[in-house]
Parts: sequence; structure tokens; C-alpha cells
Amino acid sequence: MNGAPGIGSGLLRVGLVVCIAYALIFAGAGWLQVVEAGPLSADPRNPLQLVAARAPRGRILDVRGVVVADNARAVDGLRLRRYAHPAMAPITGYVSIIFGTAGLERTYDRQLTGVARLGAGGDLLRKFRSRASDPADLHLSVDVRLQELAARLLGNQRGAVVAIEPSTGRILALVSTPGYDPQQLADPATAAAYLATLGDDSGAPLLDRATQGRYVPGSVFKLVTGAAGLESGAIRSDTTFADQPVESRRGFRLDGFRIQDAPRSVQLDQPLDLSEALEVSSNIWFAHAGLATGAGTLLEVASRFGFGSAIALDLPTASSQLNGGDGPLDGFADRLELANASYGQAEVLTTPLQMALVAAAIANGGVLVRPTLVDQIVSRDGDESRTSPTRIGRVMSATNAATLRDAMVQAVQGRYAADYAGGARVSGVRTAGKSGTAQLAPGQAPHSWFVGFAPADAPRIAVVVIVENAGSGSSRAVPLGGRLMSAWLKRFAPDSAP
Amino acid sequence: MRLARPRLRMRPRTRDRELRLLTVVALAMGAGWVSLSSTRSGGLSIGDPVPVVCWLLGMLGVHVAFVISGRDLDQVLLPVVGILGGISLLFMERLPQGLVVQRFGDRTLMLGDLQLLWLLLGLGLLGVTAISVRSVRWLREYRYTWAALGIGLLAAVFLLGDEVNGARLSMHIGPFSGQPSELLKVILVVFLAAYLADNRPMLARSSMRLGIIRLPPLAYLLPMLATWGVALALVIIQKDLGAALLLFSVFLALLYIATRRGSYVVVGLVLFFVGAAVLYGVLGHVRARVDIWLDPWADPLGAGYQVIRALYAFGRGGILGTGLGAGLPTVDGVAAIPLIHTDFVFAAVGEELGLLGALAVGTCYLILAERGMRIAARAPDEFQALLAAGLTLVIVLQAALIMAANLRLVPLTGVTLPLISYGGSSILTNALVVGSLLALSDRTAVRGVPAPTVRIARSAVA
Repeated sequence: MNGAPGIGSGLLRVGLVVCIAYALIFAGAGWLQVVEAGPLSADPRNPLQLVAARAPRGRILDVRGVVVADNARAVDGLRLRRYAHPAMAPITGYVSIIFGTAGLERTYDRQLTGVARLGAGGDLLRKFRSRASDPADLHLSVDVRLQELAARLLGNQRGAVVAIEPSTGRILALVSTPGYDPQQLADPATAAAYLATLGDDSGAPLLDRATQGRYVPGSVFKLVTGAAGLESGAIRSDTTFADQPVESRRGFRLDGFRIQDAPRSVQLDQPLDLSEALEVSSNIWFAHAGLATGAGTLLEVASRFGFGSAIALDLPTASSQLNGGDGPLDGFADRLELANASYGQAEVLTTPLQMALVAAAIANGGVLVRPTLVDQIVSRDGDESRTSPTRIGRVMSATNAATLRDAMVQAVQGRYAADYAGGARVSGVRTAGKSGTAQLAPGQAPHSWFVGFAPADAPRIAVVVIVENAGSGSSRAVPLGGRLMSAWLKRFAPDSAP
Repeated sequence: MRLARPRLRMRPRTRDRELRLLTVVALAMGAGWVSLSSTRSGGLSIGDPVPVVCWLLGMLGVHVAFVISGRDLDQVLLPVVGILGGISLLFMERLPQGLVVQRFGDRTLMLGDLQLLWLLLGLGLLGVTAISVRSVRWLREYRYTWAALGIGLLAAVFLLGDEVNGARLSMHIGPFSGQPSELLKVILVVFLAAYLADNRPMLARSSMRLGIIRLPPLAYLLPMLATWGVALALVIIQKDLGAALLLFSVFLALLYIATRRGSYVVVGLVLFFVGAAVLYGVLGHVRARVDIWLDPWADPLGAGYQVIRALYAFGRGGILGTGLGAGLPTVDGVAAIPLIHTDFVFAAVGEELGLLGALAVGTCYLILAERGMRIAARAPDEFQALLAAGLTLVIVLQAALIMAANLRLVPLTGVTLPLISYGGSSILTNALVVGSLLALSDRTAVRGVPAPTVRIARSAVA
């Protein structure tokens, strides 16, 4: 006889209840350790975060190894960050015990503290490490000298500069003025008062204009219209519009409205081709080009450059637009809006970074490369991760890119360029560029724009400059862009030839 | 007449399955030790392997003793104890040693060494119990003595106990201190098993009717009320929610096994909820426990601190864990989770061994449950069946209670994680329980022994 009579079934059921209880416990553990693992580890009250705040943070260095952010003294066991170059603030952001983190300090917080949150899968290698944290240094592609030069040239005017290496997407400078001093935000003694000052400043110093400022582009947008026209076949380099010379004088009548070239335009009697239209910045020529291209194609080619969505970068970016999106004509209200948008007015809004990508793509033979700020990440324990250029895709054919490039060279070096983008010319170097004067509401001075790159045949730097309400492009942004390209090519670039 | 038959028949019996499983245990412990030492030293290292070698040699010693004794004992329980005790040893060596410090003359022992000592003592107790206990008739015969002893222990704690962490659990007698409620659980299980076995044949059929409610017959109702009373007393006098909950749930399970009457369980649960509701209203410490459970974030740096810190630990662990020694047991030299070496050791396991480690520990208790229930099912009489089931449930339900509390699935009731948490009383008691299960598993020893009758019991007393 096996077992006491009548006991077995009771045992079985109690065993079943035990199994159910354990199954619930297992499910609870799974929930906490898989689903909730991330939020729990990110909770600021988690001692993990406390350890991270006290751990020595990795440094941030510029392209030549100049220390941009490192650790200063410790106050009450909490380390303070030291920022020696305030002009780098739009890139580095800050670490504040009171206000949290921003910029790359936020994006790369995990690597900088080295207290990696274990993913649900854990980190097998980490199990054989002794230290709880392995802080890493960020090596940027940015050159502090170019950054500081740009900030200094912008001075106390509101504006932004983006400089990028076209073939790799490495960002060389990313400037926004007015700036702020991250040091004062990092120091708990000054942080609250300083933040209040920044908040009261009508210039919004905490706004990174380079990545998040959305501006009317004016004539620099003609590069996008040109690319779309060439890609669609609607225009060629020798395309002319027969009515354009007359309209340039009297205005281009469209649906009861009149589109006019800027009064300063050089009045030529023969119909302009693409290069000449870009050189003298003819609104009417590009209005015709945009109408010939069509709204759908213009939008599609613009989206290849990145318009319509936030650009992927290690910093938060705003998306650029061609129109408000509520009109019947692919978002444009009518042909008039399309015509106006074709030369960068109407509802076109773009970030300086977006225009930098347009310049870089043209400079790079039509291939767009993902913009990056960090060259490599090197941890104390010797882990290295190097950023390699990521090709986003071909925006236009190499031939069309060359056509636009040549037009941009003519815009800087042509006969009539002096009134437009001519001031950007780097002596001894074939320079490509386009000026812009973005018309705003009546009574407001226009934004001054420049987009360009050099050397035209083997571009090593593409630059975008915008100075808010600073008048025509040629008066402010164009020479500024020229100086930056010149400084880079002749003084700062690793193989510069002074 | 064959009077010359030796009392102890020493015919060695090989135990291949146990040896194979112990090999696995040894490999796992070795790997754990190397992982911990390597993390500490920053390179591949075996550190000071004495503790883990001691533990493995202890296992081997008990195994050899089992072989020599020739008893047909269960071959899975010892390896399960090996792995749970081994995990305990790894974590007690790994946690801040200053959590427990005891002086013996001019020698100072700290957390890891003390736990090794307790584990080895427990292992010895387990082995001796498993080999030497050949009949449990005496346990049944002295059932009322056990009941009296249990109540006596309760009274002693009430009169002599010290209040620690808001609960009156420990007692000092001379240089020794212990937590009698650990032993109390076992004593009461023995009593309940004997009582239910005695009354089962008579009363399995009938039941009282009180209006529309079917009540268990008085013979069941009385001990049910008595157990309920003891549980309430535990909560009120000792503030020991865990022991009370455990005792009552083991009792209900045994009652169900003995009678297979779901209605009794319902009555028991009603009693439980009435008691719980009243205690929640009356006793501040019960209310506090429940409130913390419902919303620990209401007071994250005070009352909810411990529970929240445990949640963080589980979160940090993820699926694979941080690895032994790589978690965050201390922040600024203070334990990240108060009582991490006792009540919250499961959170430490969850952090450093991850979800997989936590599930492995849970599975060990489930294996223990399966073996215990199997031993119960094969027991030759009701008493032994109920005793085996009760002893199994004491470990398995207690583990479930504290694991669920660590995961914030139930309120924290402050019991140890059997065979893993630090503590002499807990380790020794649970070793005794597993030793008893092993003894009960030997069917060769008890085959043919008739169920004791009341007459035998009386003659034994007389």
C-alpha cells in the first residue's frame, strides 16, 4: 500500500496552489526586472543615479584635445562641472545638480558617468569588471577655435553658425548667440539666480538657434528649388524663362498678385540661365522654376535633404518646413504660395542646421552624410567607440550637384557677385556660396543669410550663417561666412596652408 | 527469535543521483566564487576559497555519511540545500561584513564567517536528523507536550524577549540569542499534523450546521480557532506578522489535505480576513505595513525607503543581473537596503544574479516542494503524510511570502528567506526541517510499523 489513504488528492491540490503562487511571484519578478527595469533605473532617487552624480564624469574634448568640460572641485561629495569655453555651450549643454542636464551632457550621460544602466539583457562583460563606473571621454569633431571665432564674429547679435565637413558630416562648429555660461548653471551657488536672468533675457540664450531656430530662409532656399528642378528635369543649367526680363522690371503677375525681384537686383535685359539667376538672386526666375517643378516634386526633393522631419543628431533638433501643410496643393494654399516658397519666402521655415545639410550635400556631389558631433568615445578602461560617417543617401545626381556647385561658384566669383555673395570669397580658393535676405513682416529688418562651401572642387568646409534682422545677406552674413571658411582653410584645418 | 539483529544495519547504499547533483552544485558554487573574487580583484581570481570549499566538503561529508548509513533517503533534497546554502554563503561573503559582528573572546567573527558557521552547524544537524531519526512515533505521542512547549515559547518571548526592528522576536538566554518563533513554527506543525491525523477518521464526514453556514465539526473548529488565536497572539504580542501568516496558512493547507473540505478553507479565510481587518484597524504596526505596501512612494525616504530600494535593486538587475559583487549593496558605506542580509536578501539576488538568478532560487524552493509533497504522498500513515506536507509548506510558503514581499506583491511581513537569509535560528530550524523530511523519505525504515494508537501513546507516557 503506497501512501496514506485519501491524502494524495489533497496534496496535489495544495501543490497546485503553491505552483500558482510561485508562478505569480515569477511573473512579478519578470515584470520588475524586464518591463520596469528601465524606468526604475532612470528614477532620480535611485542610488544608481546618486552614485552617478558623485562619480567622476568623463571629459569632453574638442578635435584637438582641448578640454571643453571636466570636473572641478567637489561640494558636499557632489562634483561640479567646469566649462572653460562658454562658446561651446550649445554643444556641451551643462550638468546642474539643480536643473539636470542638457546638450551632449544629457545625450551621453550614460557614457560620461560610466554607470551604464543595464538593459534588460544586462551586460555580460561588465560582470568581470571591478569598478561600478567606467566614465568615458567624448572627443568632438568641433574645433574650439572656429567655434569661438564664429561666436566672436556674431558678437552681441542674435544668430547662428553651422560649419560641417561635407564628406563626413563631422560638425566643425555649431554656434548660437546670444549664448550662456554653463559654468554658472553648473554651480549650485549661482544656478538659480543665473537661470532667472537667462529666462528674463528676450534673446532666449538657452535656445540653440543652430539646431532649433526656425527661420525664413529667403534666397538661400533657391538651392533647394534648383536641386528639385534639376532632379525633376523641369529645368536645366541653360533653362531660361522668356518673360523673365520684362517681369523682373514690372513684376511677375500671378493669380492677381505681383512677385518682384529685390530692388537691388542687377537688371539684365537677356533671359537669365540658372547660374545667372542664382548669381543675381532672381526671385522671378526661381518662382518660374518652382512652378515648373511642381509642388509634389519640390516637397519630395526637399525631404531628401531632411525637410519635414527633425534631423537626427546627438542634440534635439527642430524640423524644417516648406509650407504650413494645410493647403490643397500638397500643403501649399495655391500656385502663388508655391511660387513664393520657391525663393524661400511664404511659409518656408528652416533651421540653420538644415541649410548646412543642403550645402554639404551639394558640396559632397549630391550625397548626404549624417551630421555628427562626436568623433570617438574613449572609456577609462580603454573601451573605444569611433564614429564612422553614415551615408543617409543620394539627394541628387552628381551631375546636378556639379551644376549647382558651379552656379554657387559663379554666385561668389561672378561679374555681379559683389552685391550678393561675393564677399564670401576666400582668396586663392574657388569658393561656392549663396546669400539670402529673408523678408519678414513689414517694419522688421530682414534676416541676413549665407550658405557656402570651399574649396569648391574638393570641399572641406560648408558653412551656414544667419544673423537675425541684420539686413541683406551681403552686408553681414556673407563676409562672416567668408572669414570663417578662410580661417578654417588657412589656419585651423589640420592640413591648413597659411 | 532473532534478537541478535543489530540495531543499526550499516549496509552502504550508493547514491549516484545525489552525487551527480552535488557535482553540479560544486561547479555552480565554484563558478560563483570565481565570479565574485574576479569582480572584487579586477582580474581572474579565486580569492580565498576556504569558505566555499568548507561548504562543499560539508556537503560531501553528509553525502558519504548517508551512503554509509545505508538509509534510502531522498537524493534531491541535499543538493537543493547545497545550492541554496551556497548562494547564501556567496551573498553573505559578498555583502558588507560589518552588518553582523560578534566577538568570541578575542576572536571577532563577521557576517560571512558567522553564516558559514551556521550553515555548517545546520548541515550537521540535517545529517544527524536524517540518519538517526528512524521513527517519528514519539513525535505524535507527545503532541500535547509540543503544543504546551509552543505556547510556553510564546509566553517566554513575551516575558523575556527583546524588541528589535519593531518586532519582539529574539530572546537572550545567557550568551545565546535566538528567535524562538522559527522553532515555534516547526513545533506547531508537529502538533497540528498529530492532531489532524488523530481526528481525521472520526470527523471527516460530519459537519455542524449553523443556519445556512456549514461549519467544521467542533473537533476541527476548536484547533482552527486555537491556531487563529496563536496567530493573533503572535501578531499582537510579538508583532510578528510573518510567522502568524505562515502558521495560519500552513494550518489551512493541512486542514484541507486532511479533510479535502473546501468549505473549511473558506471559513479559515473568513477568519483570516476578519482578523486582518480588525488588526489593521487596531494595531498601528499592521496598518503601517499595509500602507507602505500600497504606496511606498508616499514617504520614499522614510517608511517606504526599504521597499523602494528593493525595487531599484530588482530593476538594476535586469535579466542577467549585474554579476556577483557588481551591484550596489552600499551607498556611502550604508547598506542600500536595510536588512539586506535577512529580509531583503532576495532583492540582492535579483540585483546581482538578475531575473534568471531570482527564478533559479524560486525554482529550488519549488523542487523542494515537489520532493516534500512526494514524500508526503508516499508516507505510510496520515501523521507522517501531514507532517511531511506541513514541514515542506513551512519552508515553501515562507519563501513565497518573503519573495513576494521583496517584489512588493504582498505587504512586508518580516520573515527570512529559508536557507539563504543570515541567521542561526533560521538556518538551524530549516536544516532541521529538511533533515526531518529526509528521515521521513526513508520508507525502508518505517515500513511495517503500525500506526500508533492512543493506547500505545498512553503506555509510552506511563
